[in-house]
Amino acid sequence: MAEKFQLKLGGYPAGYDAAKHGPYDPARYYGKPDTSFLDLKLNEIPSWFSRRQKTPQAFAAACSRAFWRWQHKYVQPRRSGVAPFFQVVFAGMIGFYVLNYSKLRHHKNYKFH
Amino acid sequence: MLSRLALRNAQLLPMAMRGAQSASSVATEYTRPKRLIDPAPVRHGFIPEEWFQAFYSKTGASGPYVFAITVSTYLCSKEIYILEHEYYNGLSLFVICVASVKLFGPKVAQFLDKEIDKYNDELDENRTSQITDYENIIAHEKKEQYNLDGQKMIMEIKKENIKMQLEATYRERLAQVYQEVKKRLDYQVQLQNLERRIAQKHMVQWIVNGVLKAITPDQEKATLQQCIKDLEALAAKA
Repeated sequence: MAEKFQLKLGGYPAGYDAAKHGPYDPARYYGKPDTSFLDLKLNEIPSWFSRRQKTPQAFAAACSRAFWRWQHKYVQPRRSGVAPFFQVVFAGMIGFYVLNYSKLRHHKNYKFH
Repeated sequence: MLSRLALRNAQLLPMAMRGAQSASSVATEYTRPKRLIDPAPVRHGFIPEEWFQAFYSKTGASGPYVFAITVSTYLCSKEIYILEHEYYNGLSLFVICVASVKLFGPKVAQFLDKEIDKYNDELDENRTSQITDYENIIAHEKKEQYNLDGQKMIMEIKKENIKMQLEATYRERLAQVYQEVKKRLDYQVQLQNLERRIAQKHMVQWIVNGVLKAITPDQEKATLQQCIKDLEALAAKA
């Protein structure tokens, strides 16, 4: 039981093998690749979703990969511009709007829509 | 708890290192991720180009704009997005941001690109100089190994020298033995010669003594008479 429940913080993902994959790329998924979500047909979506890992760890890993993908694409290039700053600002605007919506909705100007 | 975790990670670390080491031997199998020079293309300063491209095949070039306008119209008209005081504040801030990017952007970009290039060149130079350093060290090491092969030859020569020295000593001693034996034999020869000479001398003296003893006075007189006669005869002839 103790073997099964292990809190693993840090370190590389289980699928990563330095001999096979080379230097670690934090933006890459090292597990067995599934069909891309955008290539799915509508009726395949539930089975695709059931195949996903739904642990908090997997979610955190997915977020981390997304973050690094964004970093590699917009922040890390040598001739990186102002785009990532605007992206962060706009994402922040939307995020904070959602967070503060419960207060902001009292500022509605019209009663009926 | 945390320290135990650290311990376990430390135990896992050599495994990762081993993987990294074995990776260097099969370096051709994977492609190394490469840093982009230019960032992914964006439109209007920050919106990814792919989002527009995703619309393109279905709706044409104006599709994404139509979509954005309709959605924002919907959000505004239903007051899901509420145009409160912060919105107008944001508009002015947005204008300031865009204006400053348009005004100072190119210059700042130029300056920063130069700095980045400088930094990158420094890193590259560091890397290449380290590589050349290590290559020099390897060459030096190879030369040292080559020199050590020379040491082997020197060892052979030393061995030869020692053999020659041994041979020389052996011959010297052989000569010494010969000399010593010859000396002893010479001594024996000399001893025998001496003995024979002494014996001869004594024999001669003994015989002479015997002969002298045997001569009587009459014989001496007769001899004297004979001598005188001989002299007279000689004188008569002359």
